[in-house]
Amino acid sequence: MDGTEPLTIPGNWNFSYRYFAGDTATRFFSELRDNSRIMGTRNPVSGNVMVPARTFSDADYVETTEWVEVSNEGKLEAFSIVGTKFPGLPDPPFVLGYVTLDGADTAILNHVTGVDLSDIEVAAQELLKQPRVKAVFKDQREGRITDFCFEVLHDGAEK
Amino acid sequence: MTDRIAIAGVGQTVYRRRHSDKNSAELVREAATAALEDANIGLDGIDLIVGGVAPDALAGIHNIDLLSISRPGIPYFRINTGGATGSSALLAGMTWIASGRAKAVLVVAAERMGHATTAQSIFNSIFDPIYEKDISMSTISMVALRATMLMQKYGFTSDHWAGLAARNSAVAMLNDTVDNPRFFTKDQVRSSAVLAWPIHLLEACPTSEGACAVVLMSDPNVGDRKAAWIHGTGALSDTYAMGDRFHRPEGSLVNLVTLERSAAKAYSEAGVTDPLNDLDMVEIQAPFASSEVMAYLGLGLCDGNDAVAFTERAIDGTAGIAIQPSGGPQACNPVSATALIRITEAALQIQGKAGRRQLDGIRRTISTGQGGATQFSTAVILGNERP
Amino acid sequence: MNKTKNQAHIYGAAVEMSWMDASQSLTDLIFSGVTAALKDADMTLEAADSIVLGASDLIDGRSLSSMVTAPAAGAYMKDEIRLSEDGLAAASFGAARIEAGESQVTVVAAWGRASEGDPLAVSRAGSDPFLHQPLCISEMDVSAFRLSRWLGRYPDNDASRRAASAERQRRAAGNPHALHSVTAPRDVPYPLREDESCRWGDVVAAMVIGKAPGKVLISGVGHGTDHADLGERDLLEMPALRDAARLSLDAAGINLSDVGLFEIDGMTLSDEALSAEAVGLCPAGDGFRALAERQDINPSGGSEAGWCYPAMGLVRLIEAYQMLRAPQGPDGPRRAMATGLGGGGAQTATAIVLEKT
Repeated sequence: MDGTEPLTIPGNWNFSYRYFAGDTATRFFSELRDNSRIMGTRNPVSGNVMVPARTFSDADYVETTEWVEVSNEGKLEAFSIVGTKFPGLPDPPFVLGYVTLDGADTAILNHVTGVDLSDIEVAAQELLKQPRVKAVFKDQREGRITDFCFEVLHDGAEK
Repeated sequence: MTDRIAIAGVGQTVYRRRHSDKNSAELVREAATAALEDANIGLDGIDLIVGGVAPDALAGIHNIDLLSISRPGIPYFRINTGGATGSSALLAGMTWIASGRAKAVLVVAAERMGHATTAQSIFNSIFDPIYEKDISMSTISMVALRATMLMQKYGFTSDHWAGLAARNSAVAMLNDTVDNPRFFTKDQVRSSAVLAWPIHLLEACPTSEGACAVVLMSDPNVGDRKAAWIHGTGALSDTYAMGDRFHRPEGSLVNLVTLERSAAKAYSEAGVTDPLNDLDMVEIQAPFASSEVMAYLGLGLCDGNDAVAFTERAIDGTAGIAIQPSGGPQACNPVSATALIRITEAALQIQGKAGRRQLDGIRRTISTGQGGATQFSTAVILGNERP
Repeated sequence: MNKTKNQAHIYGAAVEMSWMDASQSLTDLIFSGVTAALKDADMTLEAADSIVLGASDLIDGRSLSSMVTAPAAGAYMKDEIRLSEDGLAAASFGAARIEAGESQVTVVAAWGRASEGDPLAVSRAGSDPFLHQPLCISEMDVSAFRLSRWLGRYPDNDASRRAASAERQRRAAGNPHALHSVTAPRDVPYPLREDESCRWGDVVAAMVIGKAPGKVLISGVGHGTDHADLGERDLLEMPALRDAARLSLDAAGINLSDVGLFEIDGMTLSDEALSAEAVGLCPAGDGFRALAERQDINPSGGSEAGWCYPAMGLVRLIEAYQMLRAPQGPDGPRRAMATGLGGGGAQTATAIVLEKT
């Protein structure tokens, strides 16, 4: 080339979608909003309770048959502490975790609070112990997954 | 596998952050032409082109493959299985040959993610819009969740992740397909910013663009070409729901059940009974150190009791098998192409054409592909001998 | 054909169409469609060892669609692969897996939910960003280009155009799969007319195929590819589809005259008419007349019955399969052809020939 900078032109995609949650997720979210309850559905083949509620089981490829309320408490299975600002995500640091609620056979993902994040390494060592956590609901709920988050239970609550 | 199929030629562009001097078709042409020349075949000898392009959004052009990979008059289709796209595309080409529909297939995987000025926000839009999009999930958090589980379950520490990242960066200095490779030490990894604990900035693969092409041929057409023969393959899909993989009997979130079973099928086809002894080299589609460790387990290179010790040997280069001689995806990870690059690197080593990164005595290799929510797994075993 | 080779047989299939059914998520719709196809085949998913999908990330509004959608189509612990192509290409690939001996039973599924996104807006993002995206070219514009060129060459066809439109409305009204209510607006650029557009739908198509003998055989497949640049193409000839159709007949070892039923994909009536010409069903310039008069072309009503990329080639195949399977007299068709068009203004095309066993 003769020294001319290769051309770039700016672009921006903006497609609108309306995602249909369907009856199952609609009920799951209504229960969060109206009753502060976390509900799962039962796979009739394995008997497993899936949380959040599913219309069908991937593994057994059958429709779920029964709604089951699970406990607001459970065990932190795995976590991540987001330490860097990414576009579109909240300001760091914040913790994401998979929690198996008592009565459920699958884990559900949400934000985890109640741990001091001023030193991430120290916080991580605490979370690696897989503490018990409790779902804490917002006062103003809107029927979204962010209506609740998990809070680490301290003082020997680990079972 | 029913018929003998070989990789008769490979071609790659250099992988770099942005190829601003080339449009997508030019980028593809460079890799495709090199692969055709390597295989000593013209486009007129090609019965099918398989395109591999992962999410459209990274390139910012819907169906960019139609503009850049497909050629008029030659049957064409595109495979998209996320990070496994490249290896899935190769398997699709093999299917076409094994069905008798083709004698020679050109597989081209191309990545144009340099177009995306906000690639990470695209990765954040791959999650289920109903249950997960509002939780601020990202691909990096997804990896971090697994890494913490490995630490809980097997006793890995942040030192292991940093050690593997440093080893891969050192190895990649010899890889001439990686433009401007980054070299860093374990301490530099550990002191870099925390993206999502335990993942540090220098562990994360850089944005990379480029194209990789492979020519597949059925046995009688290979003739006396110095080919890399396909000895075994496997591919399986898992549930998307990561939360469903903690308590199931098949294996937990950090046991890559689909890779384990894909590898088992490939081993059985190739007659591999002791992978550590029967194979000379692995190229793992692992964009992070923790993903590499999960693959060691899935491939049967070690078991749970031995995982930490094996990883330490892998870091020291004393694992008894060549691991990521290209530097792996931590050095460059053009998403659409990365799983095909793993196979290409194995083919180059087998053919003795790997340049400065060439190792001695590579006769049998396994390459993995991994896409979606650690969900789509592939395994491909190559060998220097006609099976 | 070589009798010792594996061939793919069809065991069952389902097409499910809906519009803005808020009680069902996309994965619910997919689960329902695949479950219905398995039921039609009198099988459970356990029998299948392979899943082949045709799905588009941007149509689905999920940046890596199959990550979220594949399990709903039965992918769990199966050898699943996804083509970002029209569903007929997926069906062809599924058949290749059977022919290769890699699979005993494969589920092929494809879907598009027009009510959740905006397929035409998405298609505008598929053109070249330097030359065409600034001009906002969508698939509908490509269809209009084609028709304008056709009208220039074959004027005085208004009566057959109107007759073809009326005829496909009549056929769609009698199609048990079809959508009947008003769905999305059918705005079209000139010279297309509203009634010549498609009835946008939420479409799931699924088919169960395998190696063991079944009621209907996939006896030939063909693929064709055109130039990427519209300016390089002969928009009337549609060489990709012409090649695909010819190759599918060659693979089946038959002539066009041996085929008694055609299901021809096209987003608009004129795409269907030009496709009928490209397949060779009538002389060039007679496409609309053929659609209006011939009972063996698109008895389903075509895109008037419900349409959304990339499900439609598979829908056409299933329509043809079900008609072959339906009870009929001794003069009923024994062979059928279905065609499907890919993105980029039908830059790729697939044709499949079916045969009653």
